Amino acid sequence: MTDAAKPKKKGGILGVFKDIVYGMSTHEMTRHAVRTRASMEHLFILITMGDLLGVPILPPYYSLRLLPYVTPQIAGWKRRMLRERDVTDVLG
Amino acid sequence: MNTLLAVIIGALTVYLAYTLYARRIDRHVIQSDPKRATPATLYMDGVDFMPTNRNILFGYHFKSIAAAGPIIGAIVAANLWGWLPAIIWLILGVSFLGWASDYSGIVISVRNDGNSLSAIAHRLVSPRTRTILFVFIFFYLLLVAGAFVGIMATVLESQPKTQLGVIVLTVMGLLLGQMLYRWRTGLVGATVLTVGLTLIAILGGGWTEEVFKAFTAGLNNLSGGAPLVTYFDPTLANFKGADAKIMPSLLFWALAISAFCYAGSVLPIWRMAQPVIYVGFWITALAMVLGLTGALVAPFMKPEVAQFVIPAFRGFNPQLGPAGIMPLWPMLFVTIACGAISGWHALFGAVGTARQIQNEADMLPIGGGSMFAEFLLGLLALLAVSVGAKGAPVGAFATGLGGFISVWGLPIQYATSLAFAAFIVIVLVVTQLLFRVQRVTLSEWLGDVFPPCRNQHIASLICVALAILLMMTGTWVYLWQLFGGANQMMAALSLLLVTVWLASVGKNWMYAGLPAAFMWVTTCASILVTAYNLYSNVYQINMAAGRTIPVVGSALMILVALLLVVAALYIGLDTWRAFQRYRHRPVQQRKPAAARA
Repeated sequence: MTDAAKPKKKGGILGVFKDIVYGMSTHEMTRHAVRTRASMEHLFILITMGDLLGVPILPPYYSLRLLPYVTPQIAGWKRRMLRERDVTDVLG
Repeated sequence: MNTLLAVIIGALTVYLAYTLYARRIDRHVIQSDPKRATPATLYMDGVDFMPTNRNILFGYHFKSIAAAGPIIGAIVAANLWGWLPAIIWLILGVSFLGWASDYSGIVISVRNDGNSLSAIAHRLVSPRTRTILFVFIFFYLLLVAGAFVGIMATVLESQPKTQLGVIVLTVMGLLLGQMLYRWRTGLVGATVLTVGLTLIAILGGGWTEEVFKAFTAGLNNLSGGAPLVTYFDPTLANFKGADAKIMPSLLFWALAISAFCYAGSVLPIWRMAQPVIYVGFWITALAMVLGLTGALVAPFMKPEVAQFVIPAFRGFNPQLGPAGIMPLWPMLFVTIACGAISGWHALFGAVGTARQIQNEADMLPIGGGSMFAEFLLGLLALLAVSVGAKGAPVGAFATGLGGFISVWGLPIQYATSLAFAAFIVIVLVVTQLLFRVQRVTLSEWLGDVFPPCRNQHIASLICVALAILLMMTGTWVYLWQLFGGANQMMAALSLLLVTVWLASVGKNWMYAGLPAAFMWVTTCASILVTAYNLYSNVYQINMAAGRTIPVVGSALMILVALLLVVAALYIGLDTWRAFQRYRHRPVQQRKPAAARA
């Protein structure tokens, strides 16, 4: 059985306690780090947008080398970009 | 009455309300289905929509909703009406209204593609409702910012022992941000260093007490000992009212807090806001855990700190100032906000927590469970002020909480310093975030009409200046009650929206509709009572004495109060129309997507 296929062990009360403390103390920082990465990815996708659409803007060699890293991000990027937002989103 | 009995009553309330009522609504009305896909799984974008473990999300949601509200509200209410009405409202509020509001804020978002309350209002009720909601949110944030800046400035000025701790907290927050994000230090080591140093500074506040006292005296000598502003404060002279003075030292601390909040608002969030919150979390968690467990065992280990010493009931309409009124209904119901019910929770739950729910079965433990935990925090504050009773309300709270902490062997002066610090830290970290959100709201609301508002510095300065002006009226009790009214009105509006949604999908809407109607009427009435109090107890008296700043500040507060009522009336009218529309003709629901096996 591979590691991925093994059922996850539950940590019992200590595990629950650790999760709650993590949620209270660090989860927000983690989310912020993820948000920062997402905004970097937006730039990354923008750079290679021309090649994605078939209209090369940067020298194609470099952007074509980047495309394999960009392609898996497209679905999430599309959701983030097209989602309607308002002021209250800042709270989350 | 002693603390053990109160904690047992609180624990029983949580157990009974959760198992007998909340769980029933979850099963039979909402019919949460673990096999139904949630927005976090359907629209996972790796950022906002992200399935998250239930326990982590519980901690995240609880930390995000637990702020100064349950603490200050309980302190003020116990001093005005006594501990008995306060504890009864806490129990009834959380059992029938509070959990329903928090839980429903998450449910409505999860069942509506993770949309925010304002987006759902736009779709279900009317486009106007969404716009009014934005205006409402801005003034709501302004009121809470003004109230918090006023409270913190007063505590910092009057408690020189706390000043070192706050300064070190700020420095440690900046250092932590630098260590984590620039120097890439490990989290555990950075936490131990920054939290440890902050704790030492808090406990050792007495070392620099004389230095800060001399500093305060020096500041006050700048004006030759004359006050900058004199105002009539209805809470002085045993609630009969007397003239009070704003000295340069108070203004200095208010400006220092504002500068802190301004920096938190305009600097990158990793640089200051987030690390300060992180360090502050450990300080407050330590104080609260020691305090709550101390309250539980105090009757056995240190009975003198466990007995209630304030009156159980002070009357239905206690005197506050020469002309003001303070009827138990509706004022108690807005004075204690967050421990019983709060609009902030629903607002946050819909945009923050709902988008991370990985399983519908988690909605109740996270939304309802966090609210019940917040109730325990409110109860702890009420216990602390009920056994403390010495000095001003915040001082009584710190004395009481310090007493509970001292049960564990910490000398009382250090325990009280920790309690004071915990209070200030909770308020401070919330206020800096409020200014950030308020600045964005202002840009969104007025950015097209008045383009300079789009500039983050100008928008932040406007928010800070308005908060300082409100603070200078000196009537923080009314400011607090106005904030409480706006906060509870927000809860009523979210419950109204949930009622409309339940009607639109053909479900039983009573569990949300009845609390919504009660809170809507109560909060409208409370805001009008506060406007009357401001006029009769503050505006008129200061006008007669020819004091400009309190007159302008109180007039601004009255204007905000009337605006809030008008906004609430419009939203109430729109939601009533929408409710009638859907009640007779529910919308056909599309088949929900199933979660992946």
